[in-house]
Amino acid sequence: MNTSTPSQEFWSAVKDISPLALGVAIYGLAFGLLAAQAAMSELQIGVMGTIVFAGASQILAVERLVAGAGAMTAVVAAIAINLRMLLVTASIRDVYKDRPWWQLIIGAHMTTDENWALMLSARAKGRSVGYWYLVGGGACLFVTWVVSTVCGVMFANAIPDPKALGMDFAFTAAFIAIARSLWRGKPDLLPWLVSIGTVAIALLSGMLDSSWSLILGGCMGALIAGLLPHE
Amino acid sequence: MSDTWVVILVLAAATFSIRMGGVLLGQKLPTTGPWARALNALPGCLIVSLVSVLLLSGGPNEWIAGSVALAVAWFSRNLPLTMLAGIAVIFFLRR
Repeated sequence: MNTSTPSQEFWSAVKDISPLALGVAIYGLAFGLLAAQAAMSELQIGVMGTIVFAGASQILAVERLVAGAGAMTAVVAAIAINLRMLLVTASIRDVYKDRPWWQLIIGAHMTTDENWALMLSARAKGRSVGYWYLVGGGACLFVTWVVSTVCGVMFANAIPDPKALGMDFAFTAAFIAIARSLWRGKPDLLPWLVSIGTVAIALLSGMLDSSWSLILGGCMGALIAGLLPHE
Repeated sequence: MSDTWVVILVLAAATFSIRMGGVLLGQKLPTTGPWARALNALPGCLIVSLVSVLLLSGGPNEWIAGSVALAVAWFSRNLPLTMLAGIAVIFFLRR
């Protein structure tokens, strides 16, 4: 049994997440550019990154503001994108089990798609990582996000477009790699196919937008896994 | 107070409530039986759903790059290598 100290776990997560942090930094710079168009100050962007810390929802909210939608519309759209985080934090309950309240608050706030998925991937490869690995990855992304978004506002006229660099695909590729490492074989086949099928139907039929298709797809796959008799 | 500050504060409060809500919900659900099996399967299903949304929102370029990334991931199980392969293919296809 390889047990590691909280500090070792924290820093190994920082190292493992660095390719993803690079992608986050490029998005942070580009988001700063958008925020400058919304006439947001460095202070506002810094505070937003610190207390919201959910990139996709921040980008959507500010994009709506720039498009002239009201504050209400911007907030509702951004919250809809973040509803999946309820499932994300619920799905790693052992990480938060029996932790003091201040660690729950930090752990909850530091959970993002990237460090959550990376921790699961490390576990699937047989490493015994948990809370401090999650928080280490989260802290690295947190610093990267806040610094890069503030820099994006400050140097708004010297920022490359992530899409032109192909960086928008960095996260798609990362999640494909992480899905691969989570694959446990045959028991996953039916739930995963149900998830993919649900997303395809919901999205392509135009019944649901991408935020809700994602949530429904995740829930339907998990539901099938729960109902299947297994072990 | 300006619209921007309202958006920031309301979004921050809602996002934290969602994250903390999941933490508390996870502690409340049963640890055996169908609920536990569903919760164990949830991460994989969510990630597969996320990849499906991302690829279906794109076009043929994204599908080709996604297939290459999947092939690299399948055989290498390596995160940075899969990211590099995906970015390189999409960059080449979009030129």
